[in-house]
Amino acid sequence: MAKQPVRVLVTGAAGQIGYALVPMIARGVMLGPDQPVILHMLDIPPAAEALNGVKMELIDAAFPLLKGVVATTDVVEACTGVGVAVMVGGFPRKEGMERKDVMTKNVSIYKSQASALEKHAAANCKVLVVANPANTNALILKEFAPSIPEKNISCLTRLDHNRALGQISERLKVQVCDVKNAIIWGNHSSSQYPDVNHATVKTPSGEKPVRELVKDDAWLNGEFISTVQQRGAAIIKARKLSSALSAASAACDHIRDWVLGTPEGTWVSMGVYSDGSYNVPAGLIYSFPVTCRNGEWTIVQGLPIDEFSRKKMDATAEELSEEKALAYSCLS
Amino acid sequence: MDYTKLLEKAIVVSSSVALFCNVIKHIWSSTKMEKEPVKVLVTGAAGQIGYALIPMIARGVMLGPDQPVIIHMLDIEQAAEALHGVEMELIDGAFPLLRGVVATTDVAEACSDVNIAIMLGGIPRREGMERKNVMSRNVSIYKAQALALEQHAAADCKVLVVANPANTNALILKEFAPSIPEKNITCLTRLDHNRALGQIAEKLQEHVSDVKNVIVWGNHSSTQYPDVNHATVTTNSGEISVRDLIANDKWLNTEFITTVQQRGAAIIKARKHSSALSAASAVCDHIHDWVLGTPEGTWVSMGVCSYGSYGITPGLIYSFPVTCQNGKWSIVQGLKIDEFSRAKMDATANELLEEKSLAYSFLG
Repeated sequence: MAKQPVRVLVTGAAGQIGYALVPMIARGVMLGPDQPVILHMLDIPPAAEALNGVKMELIDAAFPLLKGVVATTDVVEACTGVGVAVMVGGFPRKEGMERKDVMTKNVSIYKSQASALEKHAAANCKVLVVANPANTNALILKEFAPSIPEKNISCLTRLDHNRALGQISERLKVQVCDVKNAIIWGNHSSSQYPDVNHATVKTPSGEKPVRELVKDDAWLNGEFISTVQQRGAAIIKARKLSSALSAASAACDHIRDWVLGTPEGTWVSMGVYSDGSYNVPAGLIYSFPVTCRNGEWTIVQGLPIDEFSRKKMDATAEELSEEKALAYSCLS
Repeated sequence: MDYTKLLEKAIVVSSSVALFCNVIKHIWSSTKMEKEPVKVLVTGAAGQIGYALIPMIARGVMLGPDQPVIIHMLDIEQAAEALHGVEMELIDGAFPLLRGVVATTDVAEACSDVNIAIMLGGIPRREGMERKNVMSRNVSIYKAQALALEQHAAADCKVLVVANPANTNALILKEFAPSIPEKNITCLTRLDHNRALGQIAEKLQEHVSDVKNVIVWGNHSSTQYPDVNHATVTTNSGEISVRDLIANDKWLNTEFITTVQQRGAAIIKARKHSSALSAASAVCDHIHDWVLGTPEGTWVSMGVCSYGSYGITPGLIYSFPVTCQNGKWSIVQGLKIDEFSRAKMDATANELLEEKSLAYSFLG
C-alpha cells in the first residue's frame, strides 16, 4: 500500500532556491524515498511564465514520487491542503535600500501569507521560513496565523549548521558525516553564533570533542566563527549568485529531520519559538539545538554555556529583539 | 555402527558450523563494510546543468543511497571562480555520501581514475552562429577530452555525453579514445524519453510512473523520433497499449511528436534559460539504470553505438530502446517497425550521417 501523497508548498518557486529545491523534493530527499508528494509552487504574476517553465520541467522529469504539480500565482490555491510549507519568497534587499524598507515590504508579505496558510493549509502544517530576514519573517507569520501551533513555525539555520560542520571537517580532514552536534544560536544573520563546545568527531577510538582535536581555540573563537557567519557573502563573491544549492539542501535536511526524526545522539539547529530556554527572551524565533521525534522538535536542555558563548547568544538575541520592534513599527 | 555416537557427532558438528556462521555474520555486520567511493566526473560543472546535477549526485540519486561518491568538477579557466563557489557549496551541503571534491581547470587531474564521466561542457550555439562553426569547435573539445579520458580514467569508465550535438560529440570522443570500449560511450536521449512519458501521462491524466516503454530513436535533435507503438500504461486491468488508450493516432503521429521534439525550445521560451533541472535528472536516470539495471519488463532510451540493429548504419551513436543488466546495455530486438516509423528512423539516421561527415571534415 503506497502512502498518501503529502502536499508541499514552495513560495518564490520560480527563483534560484526554488529551482534547486523542487527536484530534491520530487526525488524524496525531503520526506523519504517512499513518500509520494504533490508540489504546490507559488510566485508573483511577473514570474508566472517562468513558473510554468518549472512546472513543465517537473513533468518532463518523469519523477516516480511526484503525484501532481500546482503552479499558481494565487496564494489561496497554493496553500490549500499543504502539509509542509517552505517560504522562499520574499523581498530581497537591493542596493540603496534601507533596512526599514526591506522590513516593511516583507512584513506585509508574511502577514498576508500567514492568513492564507491559516485558512487553507492542512491541520498541523509544518512551516519553514527561508526568505530573509528569516527569523523575523517567521515571527510575523506566527503573529498573523494564531491558529497555526507556534511550534509548527520555524526558520532555516540548518544551512549555517551544515556550513559549521563542513568547516570543521575541512580543518580536521575528516568526513563531514563523522562530525556532529555543532550549534547555531540565534539569528540567521551575521550575529549568529556557531558554537562547537559540544560538537564531536567520530574517530576509531570513539567520539572526541572538536575543541580537543582542533587544538586551536583562537581559530575556533575567531576565524571559524566569522567564516561561517560570512559564508553567504563568500559564495556570492565566487558565484555572482547566492547559495541556492546548499540552501535548498539544508531546507530538505531541516524538514526531513523534523518529520522523520534526528538520529540517536545527534542534534541539529532550527530557528524555533523561544520558550525562554537558556535565558533567551521568550517570544522570539531563535535558533537552538534540537532533537526531533514523532514530528516534534525539542530543545536540547542543560548544555553548559561559558561566558564567551553567553555574550554571543545575548548579542544575537538583542538583534532579534530590535528586528521585532522594527517589524512591529512597520505594522502600525 | 554405534548410531548414538554418530548422532552425537552430527549434532556437535552441525552446532559448531552454525555457531561459526553466526560469528562470521556478527563480525561482518559490526564492521559495517561500506562500498568504495565511485569517482564521478562532470565537465562544464560551473554551468546551469552542472549546478542542478551535482547535488543530485551527492545525494545518491545517480548511483543509489548507499554508494559513496567523489565528485570531480572540470571547467574552463574563465569559470574557475564560479567552480570554486560550487565546491564551497558542496562542502556547505554536508552531504553524507560525498567523500571528496576535486574542482579543477586541468583536464588530466579531472579525468584521473574516474569511473563515470558526464560531459556537459561544450560550445553552445549562439544566435548568428553557423552550424559549421559550432561543430568545428566542439570537435576539437571532444577530441582533446577523449585523449585525456583514455589516458587517465579508470578502466571500464562509463561516459555520457550531454553537450550538443550530443550524438556527434560522443562519436568524436569514441573515435579518439579507441581504448575505451565503444559500448562505454553514450549520449543522452533519456530527457526526450522522459518528456515523451510525461506527455502521455498528461494526455491520459495518469501517473507518469504507470507509463513505460516509449522509444526515442536517433539523434537528440529536432529529427528525433518519439515512438509510442510499444508503449503501455499499467492499469487495474493490466498493461494496455498507449495507442489504444489514447485512441487518437493523428495526435500521436503529429502534435505529440513535435511537442517532444521542440520541448527544449518551449522551456527556453518560458524560463529564458534552457532546461537544466530536467536534463540533470535525466542524466541521473541514464546512469542509474545503466549501472543498477532497468526494472523487469521496462526499457529506456540511450544513445549508443550502433552495430546495425534495425538497419541503422553501424558506428553511429544512435538512440535505441535498451535494457540494462550487470552494468551493460542491450538493444531490445525484434520490435515491429511500421512504415511511418521506418521513414522517421531513417531520416534521423541520415542527419547523423551528415553530422558525421561535417565533423570529420574538420579533422582533416
